[in-house]
Amino acid sequence: MRLRLLAGIGLLVLALSGVRGTFGQDVNPLAGDVRAVRAGGALFRAQCATCHGADGRGIESIDAPDLRLMWARDGVDDEYVFTTIRDGVPGSIMPPHGLPETELWMLVAFLASQVEAAANAEYDGDAVNGRELFAANCAECHRAGAGGGGVLGPSLNGVTRRRAPEALTQSIREPSRQIARGFGPVTVSGADGETVTGVLKNEDAFSLQLVTEEQELRAFRRGGLRRMQRLEESLMPAFPETDLSAGELADLLAYLHENQ
Amino acid sequence: MRHVFFLFCCLLPPASLFAQQDGPAYEDILRGFDDPERWLTYSGDYSGRRHSPLTQITPENVGELRPIWTFQTGTTTRGRGFEATPLVDDGVLYVTGSNNYAWAIDARSGRAFWSYRRDLPDDLTYGASAPVNRGFGMLGNQLFMVTLDAHLLSMDRRTGDILWDVQLADYRIGYAATLAPLIIDDKVIVGISGGEYPTRGFIDAYAPVTGERLWRFNTIPGPGEPGSETWPDDPEVLARGGGGTWMNGSYDPELNLIYWGVGNPNPDYFGDSRPGDNLYSNSIVALDAERGDLRWHYQFTPHDINDWDSNHVPVLVDAEWRGEPRKLVMMANRNGFFYVLDRTDGELLLGEPFTGTTWAREIGSDGRPVILNDGSQGCLPDPWGSTNFMPPSYHPELELFYVTARETCATYVPEEPAYTPGQASFGGVVFIEPDGTGALRALDIHTGELRWEFTYPSPTFGGVMTTASGLVFAGDHEGNFIAFDAATGENLWHYQTGSRIWGAAATTFMLDGRQHVLIPSGTTLTAFALPE
Repeated sequence: MRLRLLAGIGLLVLALSGVRGTFGQDVNPLAGDVRAVRAGGALFRAQCATCHGADGRGIESIDAPDLRLMWARDGVDDEYVFTTIRDGVPGSIMPPHGLPETELWMLVAFLASQVEAAANAEYDGDAVNGRELFAANCAECHRAGAGGGGVLGPSLNGVTRRRAPEALTQSIREPSRQIARGFGPVTVSGADGETVTGVLKNEDAFSLQLVTEEQELRAFRRGGLRRMQRLEESLMPAFPETDLSAGELADLLAYLHENQ
Repeated sequence: MRHVFFLFCCLLPPASLFAQQDGPAYEDILRGFDDPERWLTYSGDYSGRRHSPLTQITPENVGELRPIWTFQTGTTTRGRGFEATPLVDDGVLYVTGSNNYAWAIDARSGRAFWSYRRDLPDDLTYGASAPVNRGFGMLGNQLFMVTLDAHLLSMDRRTGDILWDVQLADYRIGYAATLAPLIIDDKVIVGISGGEYPTRGFIDAYAPVTGERLWRFNTIPGPGEPGSETWPDDPEVLARGGGGTWMNGSYDPELNLIYWGVGNPNPDYFGDSRPGDNLYSNSIVALDAERGDLRWHYQFTPHDINDWDSNHVPVLVDAEWRGEPRKLVMMANRNGFFYVLDRTDGELLLGEPFTGTTWAREIGSDGRPVILNDGSQGCLPDPWGSTNFMPPSYHPELELFYVTARETCATYVPEEPAYTPGQASFGGVVFIEPDGTGALRALDIHTGELRWEFTYPSPTFGGVMTTASGLVFAGDHEGNFIAFDAATGENLWHYQTGSRIWGAAATTFMLDGRQHVLIPSGTTLTAFALPE
């Protein structure tokens, strides 16, 4: 197995002899190369997975970020990722990696492949209609585009660069199936009988930080609470086909795709 | 004062003048907590108990405790910052930070006398996993500090000037060093990091004045040496067998033995290339301090494939055990068990689980864990383990052992790695469930039973200190520095420091008649005292 992998790398290096001295270039010479993605995956598991998780989704308790999300950030491109892996992040736990350039590009190719489903998707709905649908159904809690919106749910700016259409569809049709980090719904009851529902932004052994359904920032001392309950159901209502047709869904996604 | 100085300067040569101002001698460290204004070694004394005799701050008044100053490193290390225990002498703190910074700080004001930063090489490897340091050793006017590029330095404590600098091992292979040197009599004892790389661990002793190496104990035997029968008959496998020694040891001056935890075998998760128990990985070793010879060992996790290093502070206690006075050593281990051994010969006296792990629930009569779940029956503790290097504490009157426990759930997928010098060779990947929890637990040392616990919302790395007044000071992953009643577990006080308390534990000392308590957190060191 290892021999085959090494042989594969050897072939790649031969194929790449034309791209020697790739330092400073901003496009991955191995972009989309299936063999490079596979080799990059092996490198990732050996060099990166301990902190970033075997699936690249990060490990919250050690502050290792979800690498699938980075591509949606402004200024993040192949060269940025290449440089970050090579040089590390100074002053952080992320070390430099003295790997050969070809292997660094393999890692970039692998990381790009993790979000390819989102990057290559096409959205052919009517964005103008989608904008109206968004204003009517989503903007109370979500933000997208210049129009702004509510703060109870996550920002949807650039969401089509982070998530594939199938995943977005599921989140709209069945929002409780997978609730985004930092948006877990809770209900707390104070000693004075007040009951507040919201999403839990942060917590420790002594306090809770919520955004309430009324979209206010409220903090509570645990000691002052009668009850704190984590809810299974998302605060977002489900949109089955009877409420949002397949065509309307496509329009909505097209609008979101316009708002990168 | 001026006259005294004048007298010295004229009658004695300069070297003797320095001798008049000398810092702590070995005898002072040996006396541990006798001088309430000092904290001279990592755990405060050689026993690893981190139990201070101070009593000004009590369960009754700890609610009044408040910050009196903070010191900030001015650096930007994220995630993991201070893991050091500051040493305290004559109103001055000596403390190391991330990326091999170090400072001498006025304990009254929090202002620095000097700062030091090591110029680390650009091609540094990460054998330490994180760019941290756990503190100085001190003897006389000398400080001792290890570095991320695997050197041992001695500094002048008055200036931060380097007196000597020796290489422990080649960082380019994957070696690094992070622990606080253990100073005994005429030796500086250090260990090494790098068990995630194809390296071979060791414990070294150096001469304080010259930096000359006096002995080395290799934690992975050489071909034909005792212990090598627990490995494949292959010198290459032994040479990259891991067994880091990256956390401080303890010392029994009467037996003249040092006790040290040894880390995981390499590769971490892939065990097929190293069949056998893989001694002395995941063991505690007792070494003769004079020569570094192995007196006894006990292996907690034979043939480890979960990265459950045994790099914990060994806690030395003399207590009645089943009706007889015995010399004990205790360790709560990453594998989820709390152990009590006889520290004269390594006899296992108790091994009981302190977390909910399904990996094993008992230690067999042969001293080995009875493994119920190799991972095929559900998740195992994650690679950071059921506890880790964060110091535990022991309260002798209550006979309770306080440990930060982690309840986690991980699935291991081994894969044979490449063995490239300077590249990590974990040998697979781990999937960790995101909803782990943490707890401070008080264990009865005679039974291992849980006396009380305080739960945290996430797996925690904060260390523990106790005081004779009946307090436990602990820290959590959300940044709270917390005081408890040692007997009941009642939470008495907390302070949000603003950053995770990771691997660090509190220290305490008297200054100007007031008991001070220090906690490192992130890149900040905060001092607390009762109102004047």
